[in-house]
Amino acid sequence: MIFFVLLLVLVLFAQIAEFFIPVLPWLYNAHVYIVPVIVFYGAMALPFPLMLALALYAGLLLDAVTVQVIGGKVEISTGTSILLYGVLAGIMHGLKPLFARGHWEVHCVLSGVFTSLIVLAQYLMITFRRGSLVFTREVWWQIAGPGLIAMAVAPIFFWLLQWLARMTAYSYSPERERIQ
Amino acid sequence: MSRTYIIALLIFGAILGYFLSFGPTTTQKFKSGVYQLLAPFLTGGSGLKKQITSVRSGLKSLEQLEHENAALQVENRELRATSQGLRDVEHEVNRLRHALNYRERSVFKLIPGEIIARDSSTWWRTVTINRGRRDGVETDMPVVTDIGLVGKTTTVSDTISIVLLISDENCRVAASIEGSREQGIVSGERLTTGMTPLLDLNFLSKQADLKPAQKCYTSGVGGVFPSGLLIGTVKSFRVRELDGQAQLTPAVDLSHLEDVFVVTGRK
Repeated sequence: MIFFVLLLVLVLFAQIAEFFIPVLPWLYNAHVYIVPVIVFYGAMALPFPLMLALALYAGLLLDAVTVQVIGGKVEISTGTSILLYGVLAGIMHGLKPLFARGHWEVHCVLSGVFTSLIVLAQYLMITFRRGSLVFTREVWWQIAGPGLIAMAVAPIFFWLLQWLARMTAYSYSPERERIQ
Repeated sequence: MSRTYIIALLIFGAILGYFLSFGPTTTQKFKSGVYQLLAPFLTGGSGLKKQITSVRSGLKSLEQLEHENAALQVENRELRATSQGLRDVEHEVNRLRHALNYRERSVFKLIPGEIIARDSSTWWRTVTINRGRRDGVETDMPVVTDIGLVGKTTTVSDTISIVLLISDENCRVAASIEGSREQGIVSGERLTTGMTPLLDLNFLSKQADLKPAQKCYTSGVGGVFPSGLLIGTVKSFRVRELDGQAQLTPAVDLSHLEDVFVVTGRK
């Protein structure tokens, strides 16, 4: 439980930190997103109900910072990020046995892919509202960029979170024993 | 699937359904509430970022000094560092004096504000300022600098507000061109590739034939933005199938904004 609370705190601080992390001009102004990496780690480490709670919390925070009400209209409904995090974290949770066997690489790659999927989903939703579906090289890079960065930082974050789990005596993978 | 899983999924679905049912007003309140909770962190983070930047620039100048004056003693370096610090203060004093002068000579009633955070999302262009409802800021108020238009407020909490920048595709401003009768709607572009975003001026007549460097001002139509605020200068003009479109360079450097003013009315 301590570990779960720590993850909630980390998600909050990562969300705040994202406000101050500058975009990467050399990667088509791609943004750096840390929250999805923490959430997807949580999806593997936590039991199903807590995974859903984490997805709910992170989605709510993401909605609060992204949803725009302009001229009395909401562009993306509150709750869409919760749904996105819920589905993606659910898939990640399904791959938990692989993680328990020590195969981190799949989850690192998937963290990046899912981060890009979140950005892509946001783009598709705003395109649906604003019209004119455009997919230029720049758009692809703005979608792929955050994913690539998330993929690159995922091993470091996973290692740190793993360490944190050990420090808090959290049994992150109850399946391990069963598998072994 | 175990019973616990099903119950968890049902609770998750119910909460999700509750949030999905939010209308614009509830969403605005929810967003404003969350930002109010985040306000101390954002303000603190902004201060911390400034300190880090200041330390980094101080170290950089020290490095340069070391290269230039390898023989200088430690005392000398300390003096130079102090001088650097004073220069920073002088720069800030000049900046604030400049802002104060603008506030005094402006025809608008202005509330000064400082940018504390920039948008962390890919598809929206917003900034957060340290002024809110308590300071007299309301939704849909124009935000300017002494140079020109910055955007408008969208979500306002007690102590901070979110400003939708003119470079966002959703921020639409009725505009007119200096020295012509042409009027159009300025909006941002969905995607910004360079550090300087460009704006689109749409719905011009095909015969507009705008020239580069012509200035574009707010026309006052629509009620949100008062007339006469500089938006930007024409970069290029092209004729489309149904209308003319100009690309504008914003007057204000939106990527390096520090101080802004919220326009609350005319004096």
